[in-house]
Amino acid sequence: MWFSRLLQRLFPPAPTPAALYLYLAFALAGSIVLIVALHRLLGPRGRRWLIVFVTFIAGLFFGLEYFYPVHGDPEKNFLTDWIEPVSVMLTVVGALTVGLGIYSLFQVHGRALAQRRPGWHNSLAFFLATFAMLVFGLWEHYLHLPQPPPDVLPWPKVVYEILFNGLFAPLQAATFSLLAFYIASAAYRAFRVRTGEATLMMAAAFIVMLGQVPFGAWLTSFIPADSPAAFFRLEMLGEWVLRWLNTPAQRGIIFGIAVGALAMSLRIWLSLERGTFFSEQS
Amino acid sequence: MGSLEHANWFMRLLFLSLCTIIVASVLLAQRGREMFIRRIPGLTAIEEAVGRATEMGRPIFFSPGLDSINIVTLQALAILSYIVRLAASRATRIIVGLRSPTVFPIAEESVREAYDAAGRPENFRPEDVRFISDEQFAYALGAVGIMAREETATNFLFGAFYAESLILAENGRALGALQVAGCPEPTQIPFLIATCDYVVIGDEYYAASAYLTREPTLTGSLVGQDICKAIVIALILLGVGLATILAPDRNFLLTWLGGGG
Repeated sequence: MWFSRLLQRLFPPAPTPAALYLYLAFALAGSIVLIVALHRLLGPRGRRWLIVFVTFIAGLFFGLEYFYPVHGDPEKNFLTDWIEPVSVMLTVVGALTVGLGIYSLFQVHGRALAQRRPGWHNSLAFFLATFAMLVFGLWEHYLHLPQPPPDVLPWPKVVYEILFNGLFAPLQAATFSLLAFYIASAAYRAFRVRTGEATLMMAAAFIVMLGQVPFGAWLTSFIPADSPAAFFRLEMLGEWVLRWLNTPAQRGIIFGIAVGALAMSLRIWLSLERGTFFSEQS
Repeated sequence: MGSLEHANWFMRLLFLSLCTIIVASVLLAQRGREMFIRRIPGLTAIEEAVGRATEMGRPIFFSPGLDSINIVTLQALAILSYIVRLAASRATRIIVGLRSPTVFPIAEESVREAYDAAGRPENFRPEDVRFISDEQFAYALGAVGIMAREETATNFLFGAFYAESLILAENGRALGALQVAGCPEPTQIPFLIATCDYVVIGDEYYAASAYLTREPTLTGSLVGQDICKAIVIALILLGVGLATILAPDRNFLLTWLGGGG
């Protein structure tokens, strides 16, 4: 394809790692210049039209790739080969916004620290943690340790291990385990028998929960597994509630969501979602 | 069944029909046809929730969920825009906590524009649109920290939530905030129903911007969406009927769905 050949001629693979970093620096600088130029040159109306145009082209690309007839093995059309480069491009754009997120954090916590607002020590902890992870994370990365690692690790690697596996990972696990208590308190509130619906939900939950544990199976184990009444064994009844009552209801919700998402996608693609992202409806 | 990485002819026909119905409904609404929208309590409660924060003189917390930029987050930002306008017109502060750095600049711009639209650009505080963390549970704890420190009167949780939904909503409830949530994730809806005062479920989530703004374009799209839903229900009923009376190799609907492209 002529466009592919043109791109390969314009952007040949970097011959050396140093050249790759140079290309990346040029690409980054070029992108910044382009964004600043567009920001300066285009007024609000121009920016709006640019967004409308880019949104339409992006939607058209992914839509066409899905709907255009495919041929061959593996099945593909004239756009399929472009899906991966475009997805990588979107990832790169997304990665650039991480800087904005970090800037926001520095702004909020820097102000709290400078003005000694209540809880300023939390902001100090944020800066210390961020810089420690940044310094030791990069340091550890560029140590280029052999695999398997040596018995005695260099001290920057030890500090990194303490920070990540000794502090960060257990904190995440502790937060996740808190969910058990939150589920218990939410379930208590939801299952209090106050209305007809709550009673029904309580009964269904009771059957499903008992059906999942050995005690539940033991309770109805007197019903022979091969008898016509085997359906009333708690593990069978629980499975029936999950499979024939819960799953259709969930699928019904998912169908509704899918149709809603289609309508929303169309509104975004055709820039009809006025009054929210683009402009007030005239 | 064939792979659905690419559409087959039945999918093309179905998508084209559904898209045509939605666009036709939008055009009809734009030409002035009156369209009825049923009452959705969760969305009606938004005004009450903002009013509560105004009366108590305390801020509002808004979370647009955990996802990066996708259709769910864009809908959450549309709802955010409406809530900010409402809150700004009543001089009520709103704090937005973000997990995705990609969403951050869009949310910031959306909030800034909403303050402008409400005629209160001077009330916009850039530090009120905050990136918290891109780690799921760190985000949840950061958001709960904001709810506790700022003593928010109302929490809005609109967007894609996962395991952390209960941490956010249960703590918000314990702190005494009125909570309105909307999530298209079926696994999280039960948790939100158990912990929030009002919950928008399923396709109601995508009806939000039309319901709140009542703009003809969006209302038309919502009505088109309902017609599409009726068609999908009819197809399901047809599928159930055919699967009941026909053998799988003679079920033409099954053949169409998985047929060659």
